[in-house]
Amino acid sequence: MNVGPETIVYILEIVVGGLLVGIGVHFVPVGGAPAAMAQATGIGTGTVQLAAGCGLTGLLAAGLMMSVTDNLWPILATGAVGAMIMIDATMLTGSWIYAYAVGAPFASAKVNYDPITGFSQPPYVAPGTVGQGIPTVCFVSGTIGALMGGVGGAMIYYPLMLINGNPAMSAIFAIGIFFVNAVLASWNIQGTIEGFHDPKFKKWPTAFRSCLAASFILAIVAVLIIPIATSGGV
Amino acid sequence: MTVGGGATSAPAKFEPQKLRIYGIVGSLVGIYLAVVLNQATGTTVFSFIAAIGALFGVVMGANAVRRVCSYGIGTGVPSIGMLALGMGIVAALFGLNLGAQFGMDWLGPIIALIYSLIFGYVVGLIANRVMGFNIPVMEEGLTDLSGAGTLAIIAWSVAISGSLSYSSIVADVLNTGFIAIIFICGGLAILHPFNANLGPDEKQDRTLVNGVMVGGVAIVATGVCALLTQGMILGLLQIVVGFVIWYYFFVWYFRLAKRDAAAVVGTGLLPPSAL
Repeated sequence: MNVGPETIVYILEIVVGGLLVGIGVHFVPVGGAPAAMAQATGIGTGTVQLAAGCGLTGLLAAGLMMSVTDNLWPILATGAVGAMIMIDATMLTGSWIYAYAVGAPFASAKVNYDPITGFSQPPYVAPGTVGQGIPTVCFVSGTIGALMGGVGGAMIYYPLMLINGNPAMSAIFAIGIFFVNAVLASWNIQGTIEGFHDPKFKKWPTAFRSCLAASFILAIVAVLIIPIATSGGV
Repeated sequence: MTVGGGATSAPAKFEPQKLRIYGIVGSLVGIYLAVVLNQATGTTVFSFIAAIGALFGVVMGANAVRRVCSYGIGTGVPSIGMLALGMGIVAALFGLNLGAQFGMDWLGPIIALIYSLIFGYVVGLIANRVMGFNIPVMEEGLTDLSGAGTLAIIAWSVAISGSLSYSSIVADVLNTGFIAIIFICGGLAILHPFNANLGPDEKQDRTLVNGVMVGGVAIVATGVCALLTQGMILGLLQIVVGFVIWYYFFVWYFRLAKRDAAAVVGTGLLPPSAL
């Protein structure tokens, strides 16, 4: 391999991508199993599933854009839009189920007033629960989180494509880096978070440090991979 | 949500050190035996040996999941399985590529294993020191998990491609997208056993038998992939091997579940003879 200035740029891009993924997870309203039973605010599944969903959609979108252009900015934008569409669709259809099938009013138990709409929250929080559904602030926060995750995923994918030139390999490698950062971030928030208004959000510097260290070790090996002519196969 | 089984130390019949040695040696022997026999005979008939070798790594990983998650990590067991495979995929691709760069494809699994063990240890350190998990077995558990994920990915990749050469693994496993199947099936084999068995009555032998059982299902999946890469007969051979493993360990698992249950009663769905 040739170590040059571009290698350092590749490493930086992968590290920044990993950090964006790690911080982005803090914005996504992850409710976990309690939310699946409408007993907590957020989307009713775990961080890893949400991160995988929005990350993979973002990667697919970014990969599609990368097949027609090498310009970084449209690739990042496409990745972000792909991830945002995925998470918004999840939150929207989830909201329909919470509203029309479960019949729960959307309320956050972490704040007294929704920071965006200013609506009062406590009267609507059912006793014994920590909120239900996906209130406006969570929806907006989730969209921001998906934006960061999508940009992060695309930012990991882009240098990998330039390094090894194999879309399949870059994608699966990016998924690996994505999962490591997403899981570290989800451990930091201990599984559930409502969004940027949640007190747990203040813990993001811890995830920043963790993801910085982990992404750096991953980036070092990512740039060591060189394209080797392949032959045979299907 | 993770419910702590035995909060301080999960009772274990098999020592983790012993399972670690079995896991690493068993998987590496499986990979190299399959590759050497395939090369010696000029066929890909023995690829299923690598698939069986992966099961040793899976058992090591399932035991590590069991040890770490019995402390309760707050995010559910699946997260740690995906972390293991995420670390494993990076290590596997890096190792195989570096081996090919040196012109020694056979070195790939060793490089991948060493890198993954180091990286797993570092992630464990991050989790304990930076995030303040304070789980005493975290470093050790993530070292095992990372190694298990790497070994499972490489071994099942060899089972699909029939060779350890980087170029054929890229062509047969990566470019075809079968790596995604290995990723998810391997992750399930490592994370599912504890996820399914956790609780105060969790027993190590039942959990590990469940791991081998899910590994058998994963071999069926790699067999389906091998239908395309190695042809009908060899693919079917792998499917049959996977099915036999799954069936044997399913029956064993059912026996252990009945052993640990307070009572087994029929609901009428199954004939009484099946209980």
